[in-house]
Amino acid sequence: MKVIQKFRSWGAGPGSLAVLIVGLVLGVVIFGAGGGFMVYANSEPFCATSCHEMDALKQEHKGTIHDVNRTGVRATCNDCHVPHEYIPNYFAKLGLLSDVWGHWTGSIDSKEKLEAKRYQLARRVWTYMKENDSRECRHCHTTAKMDPDKQTDKAKSRHEKARLEGLTCIECHFSIAHKEPEGPGPQELFSTKAAQK
Amino acid sequence: MPRRVLAKVRRWTAGTRALMVLLAGAALGFVGLSLFGTTMIYTSTEAFCATNCHEMANNTTLEYRDTIHDKNRTGVRAICPDCHVPHSPIPLYVAKMGALNDLWSHHVTHSVDTREKFQAQRPKMAQRVWAYMKGNDSRECRHCHTVANMDPDKQSPIAKARHEKAKKEKLTCVDCHYGVAHEVPDGPGPQELDVDRSLIPRSAIF
Repeated sequence: MKVIQKFRSWGAGPGSLAVLIVGLVLGVVIFGAGGGFMVYANSEPFCATSCHEMDALKQEHKGTIHDVNRTGVRATCNDCHVPHEYIPNYFAKLGLLSDVWGHWTGSIDSKEKLEAKRYQLARRVWTYMKENDSRECRHCHTTAKMDPDKQTDKAKSRHEKARLEGLTCIECHFSIAHKEPEGPGPQELFSTKAAQK
Repeated sequence: MPRRVLAKVRRWTAGTRALMVLLAGAALGFVGLSLFGTTMIYTSTEAFCATNCHEMANNTTLEYRDTIHDKNRTGVRAICPDCHVPHSPIPLYVAKMGALNDLWSHHVTHSVDTREKFQAQRPKMAQRVWAYMKGNDSRECRHCHTVANMDPDKQSPIAKARHEKAKKEKLTCVDCHYGVAHEVPDGPGPQELDVDRSLIPRSAIF
């Protein structure tokens, strides 16, 4: 009761409607700007070119099947590397604040440093993709809408085999857009895990 | 006058009460915009677009099934909104307002509620879409199909040669790639259609 009375008194002033409308506009502008920034932060100009650390990775992506192909339908950075659902996307973006930290502390600011950390970085991405069953791949590649008869015989039989063995996309399709690092690949990394299950 | 207005504003904004009202307004703005955005996203899904009314479900959706944009080697698809509405936010909202027209014909005029009526209207509807796509240089096609990132050497010799020819003749995608997802109606195709592209200002292409 007391709370209701309080609310009533808040809204009782002659100008409160105007203040409410100002607040509404503010809310829309702030929310819109936030959403707009999220869209911008998913774009290729932001992702691929706004820091020099990504230069090397951008160059590796150039000319791969996800950049240039028969139909010109592409996948850019965010298509593979952040969730597509809104809330998870925002969380992922918050996690990317660590990239800002990495940028200022210079953790991969030279070719040598990147190469030294490449395996660790690749492994992190592979683990992430393995754990969510290559969710980002599947956002574009709808398995149910793949036509096996349009695939090569080899691809067709391997996809069949992968299904039987419970493999996920990344276990075979790794380093398709970036340089392959030295060290065990996803299948070696996760096979022990699979055996334990 | 301005001083009086200023005094009024000052009085309105005085005290914690105004701050609460401001916050309430901001919250309303957040909620309103989220609802709006969510509606825009939902109305662009296959679940809404392709199956929500029988006009679509019984005609265009069935035709689209198993075409190259539905099912293909890689499973990368294009669904209704990918081809039929703009992808930039503001033009998209404008297009959605235009789609209110569909509600009108669904509930009031019943213009395509049977197969016969649909077939009778098909040439008109197809020509409208072709004219739209010719007018904006197949913008929606190009949203996915980036010409600069097409590899002609991965295309068949005939496709390669024709794309080359199309570039010279200033054709746009839909001039040749029509009826790729829906039945082709009788009557003139996109190349026979006369669209004065010079009338469309470049600013209209967001």
